[in-house]
Amino acid sequence: MGNGPAGAREQILGRLRESLAKQGRLFRQSIGLDLPDPPMTVFPSPADKSLVESFATKLVELSGSCDVVRAGADVAERLMQRIREWTAQSPSGPIEILSWAPDELHVPRLEQTLAEGDISLFAPEDLHDQSIRARAASIDVGITGIEAAFANTGSIVLSPGAGRSRAAGLLPLNHLVLVPLSRLYPTFEAWLLKLRQEGRLETLLHESGQLAVVTGPSKSADIELTLTLGVHGPKTIHAIVFDDTE
Amino acid sequence: MNIDVSAPYQTRVKQALADDNLRTALDRATSRLSETRAQAVAAIDLQRMRDEARAIKEHAIKNLPDLLEELERNLIANGCQVHWAQTADEANEIVTDIARQRDVRRTVKSKSMATEEIHLNRALEDAGIKVVETDLGEYIIQLAGEPPSHITAPVIHKRAEDISELFQRELGMRPTNDPAEMCAAAREQLRSEFLAADMGISGCNFAIAETGTICIITNEGNGRMATSMPPVYVAVMGIEKVVPRVEDAFLLWQAVTRSGTGQDVTVYFSMSSGPRRSGHPDGPEEMHVVLVDSGRSRIMEREYADALLCLRCGACLNSCPVYREIGGHAYGNTAYSGPIGAVVTPLLAEDPTTAKELPFASSLCGVCREVCPVKIDLPRLLLDLRHDLTQLGSSPKYEGAAIRAYSNTVEKPARYNRLSKLARWFSRILPANTEGDLTKLPPPLSAWTRSRVLPRIASRSFRALWRDGRDTRRGSSDNG
Amino acid sequence: MRRRRKRRRLTPKGAHPERSERLTMTRSNSDKQMPRVAFFVTCMVDTLYPNVGMAAVELLERHGAEVVFPEDQTCCGQPAFNAGYRDEARRMARHFLNVFGPLVNRGEVDAIVAPSGSCVAMVKHFYQVLFEGPDYEKEQRLVDLVSGVSYELTQYLVDVLGVEDIEAEYHGSLTYHPCCHLLRELKVDSQPRQLLRSIKSGEIVELPAEHECCGFGGLFAIKNAGISTAMGKRKVENLLQSGAKTVAVGDVSCMTHINGLLKKMGHGCRAVHVAELLNGSVRDTPEAQ
Repeated sequence: MGNGPAGAREQILGRLRESLAKQGRLFRQSIGLDLPDPPMTVFPSPADKSLVESFATKLVELSGSCDVVRAGADVAERLMQRIREWTAQSPSGPIEILSWAPDELHVPRLEQTLAEGDISLFAPEDLHDQSIRARAASIDVGITGIEAAFANTGSIVLSPGAGRSRAAGLLPLNHLVLVPLSRLYPTFEAWLLKLRQEGRLETLLHESGQLAVVTGPSKSADIELTLTLGVHGPKTIHAIVFDDTE
Repeated sequence: MNIDVSAPYQTRVKQALADDNLRTALDRATSRLSETRAQAVAAIDLQRMRDEARAIKEHAIKNLPDLLEELERNLIANGCQVHWAQTADEANEIVTDIARQRDVRRTVKSKSMATEEIHLNRALEDAGIKVVETDLGEYIIQLAGEPPSHITAPVIHKRAEDISELFQRELGMRPTNDPAEMCAAAREQLRSEFLAADMGISGCNFAIAETGTICIITNEGNGRMATSMPPVYVAVMGIEKVVPRVEDAFLLWQAVTRSGTGQDVTVYFSMSSGPRRSGHPDGPEEMHVVLVDSGRSRIMEREYADALLCLRCGACLNSCPVYREIGGHAYGNTAYSGPIGAVVTPLLAEDPTTAKELPFASSLCGVCREVCPVKIDLPRLLLDLRHDLTQLGSSPKYEGAAIRAYSNTVEKPARYNRLSKLARWFSRILPANTEGDLTKLPPPLSAWTRSRVLPRIASRSFRALWRDGRDTRRGSSDNG
Repeated sequence: MRRRRKRRRLTPKGAHPERSERLTMTRSNSDKQMPRVAFFVTCMVDTLYPNVGMAAVELLERHGAEVVFPEDQTCCGQPAFNAGYRDEARRMARHFLNVFGPLVNRGEVDAIVAPSGSCVAMVKHFYQVLFEGPDYEKEQRLVDLVSGVSYELTQYLVDVLGVEDIEAEYHGSLTYHPCCHLLRELKVDSQPRQLLRSIKSGEIVELPAEHECCGFGGLFAIKNAGISTAMGKRKVENLLQSGAKTVAVGDVSCMTHINGLLKKMGHGCRAVHVAELLNGSVRDTPEAQ
C-alpha cells in the first residue's frame, strides 16, 4: 500500500484493469509483435574500426578528447600532463583534484606519481558536510574510473559506491576518465547482455543508487540552436584508455 | 510579441501568424531538428527500431497495472517511498507535503513535462517553497513567466536577443548576445542553487519495472545534479512511463534521441534506483516516486490507448507544417503542442471540448505518423477525435446543418444533380474577376476568398459531357 | 526529377508496336478481354474540372481499358468524414458502395479508378473505419470488395495497364507536387513521376521541399484559413523558386488551393492535373496558352 490520498492506488489500478478487460482491441492497429529479445542493438559498433578507435573517434566528435596509452606508469604520466594543461592558468602551487578513492581507479602508484608533481587527490567520504561540499565544489578537475564504456557512442557508465562519489564526475568543469580496456564494450546492448547472463544486472542497479551513462561534455542548444558546452556538467571530458588486460 | 495562451483559439493563431520573429525561429529550429533526425535515423535500421519500440510500448500499456505494481514493489525494495495520485491536485499535495514535512525552502527541478502539466511549480510556490528550473530552456521561460512552446526545446520561440535582455534584467548579466556567455551566467547562478537546495525534483522518461529504476535524460547535466546534490529527491512520473526491462529503457532512450534531437544518445542518462546507499559519499538520503494518473486512465477509458504510446520525443512537432506556422503557444495553455498535443490535450482534460479546436488544426498530411518512433497513427487519432468532439456538439451549429444537408442531397443522384444545377446557377451570379474566377463568397466561405480565388462551377459537368459523348463513344468503340 | 533538355520524338506518334498489338489482341481474342474500369469521377472533378475527368477517361481508353461510368455515383463522403460527421459520411459511403459494389461483385468491372489520391484513400482505408463493428457487416463485405480494386489514375496506368511511355508533349518547364494522401496513404509516388518523366517535354525540374503539404486539408482550408494560406504561400514560394511554369498534381483539391493562391497573388504559373498533362490537353506553359 502506498502513501497518498486513501484509495488512490486502488482507484488507479482498478480503473486501468477494468478498462483493459473491456476493450477487445486496445490499439487502432497493433504491431502484432511480442517483446523483442535482447540484444536489441540499435547502433552497432563499426566493423572497420577497433573498439578503441571507435570509442576515441566518437568522443572527439562530441568535443571530448581521448588518449590511448599502454598501461600503468603511462597513465599517471598522461594524467599529470592533462591536469597541468587544464590548471596552467591557476596560481602555481599544490593542485587538488576531486577524485574517486585511489583504490577505485586501478592505476598502480597513481597517488604517489601525482604527489611528485605536487598534485593531490581529494576523495571525500561524506559530501553532506557543508564545508567538504564547498571545498569539492571549488575544484576544477575531477578524476573517475568507469563501470563500463561503449565504443559505438563514446559513452561511459559511472557507478557510485564507497570511494566513488557522484560529485567527482559531475561538479568540476573538467572530467578525467580512466578507461581500462577490459571494460570497453562494443555497445550498451552487449554490456547489458553480459550482465544479464552473469546475473549481475539487477544488483548493479540496486547497489549503485544512481547509474549514470555519460556521453561527451555537458551541452545545450536551447539558445537559438547554438551549441554551448559545460552548461551544468563538465565542459571538457578527457578519457585515458589503457590496456589492463595483461 | 507574445501569444496569450488563455485567449480564444482563433486569437492565438492570428497572433502567431502575425509574429514574424516567432516564425523565423520556428522555421530555423524545426528544419534543423528535422535534418539532424534524418541523419541520425539514416545511420541505423530505422524500421526495426520502430517496430521494437512499438512492441515494447504496446506490451507496457497492455500490462500497465501489473507493471506498475512490479515497479512499486521494486522501488520500495530499493528504499524509495512510493505515492499514488489520481489527479494533478493530489500529486501537488503529495509533493508539497513531502517538502513541508522536511522543512524544504528551496527546490531545484529538472525538466519534466508531467510537472508542467500538473502545474507543480505554482502549487509549491503557493506553499511558500521556491522552485528553480534548472534546464536552461526551462529556466529561461521560468524567468520570463511563460509556458514551454515545444516538448523538448522549450524556448524554440525565443531569439538570443530576447534571452539576453531577460538575463540582464534578472541576473544582472552584462550585455551580450553570445550564447556561451549567457550559458555561463546561468551555470553560475544555478550551481549555487543546486548546492543550496533542500529538495530535487525530476520527471521520468522511463521507469523500469523489473529493477525499480527511474530514468531521466538530459544534455546539460542538471538531471544528475538535481537528483544527487539535495538531500531529498522526488520523481514525478506519469503512469504510462513504465517499461518492463532494462533493455527496453535503453532502446526507447535511443529511439527518443534519434527521432527527437537527431543525436545518437543524449549526454546523460541517469538511472536512479533508490537513495544513497550506506557508505556512498553522496546522493539523496530519501527518494520518493509519485505515480501520477491525472487523466491517463481516462485516456484508456476513452479508448485512446494509442495516445499512451508516446515517448515525448517531439519528432512530430518538428515535422508538422502546422506547428511550424504557429508554434506551441497557439495550442493554448497546455504542456503538449503539435500533433501529439492536439491529441492528448483534449483527451487528458475532463471536458475535451475545452480544447475542441486542436484536432482540427491539421491538414492531415501524415508526416507525423512517418516520423513517430513508435508508429502512432496520429492522423487517425485526430480523425477519431474530430468525430467524438462533433458528437459532443462542439462544432458550430451551421456546420453540422450544412454537412447534414449535403449528405442528404448527395446520397441520392437525382438530388445531387439538382444541387449541382443550383450551385452552378449560384456560382454564375457571385462576384467574379475577368478570368471568371469567384473572388467573393459569403461567410464562412469568405475565409477562402480572402486569400484565394475559386473557379466557377463548370457550365457542363463531367456527367453531362459523358452523356453527350456516350452515343459517339459507343459507336467508336465498336469500330475500333 | 532529373533535368532534361528538350528531346526530339523518338518514335512516330501511334506507332508503338506493343500497345497496338495489345489492342488488336484483346479485340480479336474474345476470351481475353480488355480490363473494364468503373470510372469514379469524384465530385470536385465532376462539377469544377470536367475536362480532367475527360482526360482521365481518354488516357484509360487509349492504354487498353474499357471504361464505364456509373451515372448514379455522387460523393465518396470524405468531406463529412474529415470534418468528424460519420453518420453523414456513412450515408454517402453507402451510396457509393451500392453503386460500385454490385458492378465489382457481378464481375462487370475489374477495377474502380479515380483521378484523385484522397478519394481513393477514403475508399481503401477509411471506409473500413466508417463501417467498423458488428452493426455494419453488410457494408463491410462491400467495402472489402471495392477497396481491393480501387486505384488512383497513375497507379492504375502504370501498375495494371503497364504503361511506361506516354505519348504526350509539353513545351516548357514542369515540376511535380506529391499530394499527401496519394503519397502517404496510398504510397503512390513513382508512378506519376515515371509517367511525367516520359513526356516529351522541355524541362522537368525539382520542386524545393516538395514533400511539404500545400495546406488544403479539406475543411481545414476554411476553418483554419490563416494557417492554410500560410502553408500554401510556402508552396507557391517553392514553386517560384523552381522556375517551373507548371506544377503537375494528382488531386484537384491541392490544385484548387494552389491555383487559388497563384491567381490571387498575380503569378503566371499554374497547377495542372496530371491527367491533362499526360493526355496532351495541356502542352504549353500558361503564358503560351
